[in-house]
Amino acid sequence: MGKTLFEKIWESHIVVEKQNEPDLIYIDRHLVHEVTSPQAFDGLRMNNRKVRRPDLTIATMDHNVPTSDRSLPMLDETSAIQIKTLEKNCKDFGITLFDINSPNQGIVHVIGPQLGITLPGSTIVCGDSHTSTHGAFGALALGIGTSEVEHVLASQTLWLEKPKTFEIRVEGKRKNPHAVTAKDIILSIIKNIGTAGGTGTVIEYRGEGISDLSMDQRMTICNMSIEGGARAGLIAPDEKTFDYLRNRKYTPKNYESLVDSWRDDLKTDSDATFDKQFILDINDISPQVSWGTNPGMTCDVDEPIPSPDEFSNGDPNQKKGAEKALEYMDLKSGTMIEDIKIDRVFIGSCTNARLEDLIEASKVIQGQKVASNVSAMVVPGSQMVKKQAEEMGLDKIFTDANFEWREAGCSMCLGMNPDILSPGERCASTSNRNFEGRQGNGGRTHLVSPVMAAAAAIYGHFVDVRKLDLN
Amino acid sequence: MRGNIIKYPRDNIDTDVIIPGQYLKVHDYAELATHAMEGLDPDFHSKVKEGDFILSGKNFGCGSSREHAPIALSHCGIKAILALSFARIFYRNSVDGAFLLPIEIDQDAYDGISEGDEIDIDISTNEIKNITKNQTYKMKPFSDIIGKIIASGGLFKYKPDQD
Repeated sequence: MGKTLFEKIWESHIVVEKQNEPDLIYIDRHLVHEVTSPQAFDGLRMNNRKVRRPDLTIATMDHNVPTSDRSLPMLDETSAIQIKTLEKNCKDFGITLFDINSPNQGIVHVIGPQLGITLPGSTIVCGDSHTSTHGAFGALALGIGTSEVEHVLASQTLWLEKPKTFEIRVEGKRKNPHAVTAKDIILSIIKNIGTAGGTGTVIEYRGEGISDLSMDQRMTICNMSIEGGARAGLIAPDEKTFDYLRNRKYTPKNYESLVDSWRDDLKTDSDATFDKQFILDINDISPQVSWGTNPGMTCDVDEPIPSPDEFSNGDPNQKKGAEKALEYMDLKSGTMIEDIKIDRVFIGSCTNARLEDLIEASKVIQGQKVASNVSAMVVPGSQMVKKQAEEMGLDKIFTDANFEWREAGCSMCLGMNPDILSPGERCASTSNRNFEGRQGNGGRTHLVSPVMAAAAAIYGHFVDVRKLDLN
Repeated sequence: MRGNIIKYPRDNIDTDVIIPGQYLKVHDYAELATHAMEGLDPDFHSKVKEGDFILSGKNFGCGSSREHAPIALSHCGIKAILALSFARIFYRNSVDGAFLLPIEIDQDAYDGISEGDEIDIDISTNEIKNITKNQTYKMKPFSDIIGKIIASGGLFKYKPDQD
């Protein structure tokens, strides 16, 4: 019987395999950031261990770095300590670090592909759940905790239970691909499979609706695999993938011969079977807006907010969850999404802060101004994205419209740096999680695409971007 | 292992409410613990005592990979989470650092066990006894792998069986 792409990558990375034991899996690349690594380095020191492969380990700082003027000292002392600690750890253990002043600094999942660190068929780990992003390149990319970070630093391997396989086929063509984006596809998927629909699986996204997407868009899809509960998301590499990675800073010297073998090997065999399957038809999907406090609580922009009964399908915990979510979000069922007014707009995060996201958002706002009741910011995913965008004049389009144009980092996605919502503030956000308090204590998050966020900034409330001229 | 239940009868308790992002800069575990469940239940710290268990619904610990979540709960004295299901990174983090036991329960146990009930968990027989109500439920056994990591006392103490 044939094998899936996931099974091929897994089997080619087994170091130790025994019956009734986990597999010991070799890790090709380890990405490190300031928040989930300090205890891991402490553990190495305590046990007198070295980093086994500093050459396969790359670090940056993204979670708590300020996105304002970096020539000024950091005001938050505990963040400053965490950043200094990463600098010291990288120096002590011989790890390449893209620090706060590096032109390569940025969100770890944005810089990995941009630098050519992310390669098809490889295994990648990082102490961050959105590591699944790298699966867009056909890499098996897993988010891990700090104990596992220490284990990989020390041994370049991990003991893992083999996940199950989950095929998600995305069929059809979007009628207006500028208005209905990759973000809307992945939010639709999560709305359908639920936030635990992918638990214990590696998703492979397949079908015309996926192969049509650019690499930036594929990363948005794989990024949110974790919001569907999956261990990882994968997309088989194709010519778009190979073109993207050609001539990057860390692209291997023998790249073309690698591409030849990837072209043959890195695909699911036609007779392979998956443990689970879901099919999404995207011919008629709409822009998506989350109304609740997890990414599964999402509806079409032209729909009313569902009632807890409609949402729960008779599951009492789901119903209670929806009631609590509406209370937290200060929303009522039946309210049309387009009638929801917003206070803040955040265009950023490892989900939607790549160059294409910023280009698309800029088309919505060109020549217009942010509504007077809204404050809006753009936080590019990396300093490289920022520079490219500035070369195209995008920064001017955003600042002319009264958006703030910031330095790269995770920023308001998770509320670790000063970029947070005040209690009660409502935000149209291109990030990945609308959990209670995620963007700041008491803050209310609506997950949307970059074009939906940009349009909400201009109008002061959500609008169906299909009504706008985006070409 | 015996303790009392703190019950959160809902699904999808995420790591951001278990320990909000702003505290991921805190390295002192005792201080971290003072912020556990801050996003969910302001009364948690007045209820919790050493040896307690949390009981909750589906997909417990979804979201971020922050190991701070099981660390913060364990440093409040929580020894086990009983839930209908777990998000995988939280589940692995809990056992890797030997912070607490993630125990998957069925609907009978979920419905039968109430806030404050005294519970006895025996992972050698996979039985959960409700002392308060004189009921017994089955827990889902740990997989071989997870059972071995737990028995070893965490990921760094685990060694595969020798041939």
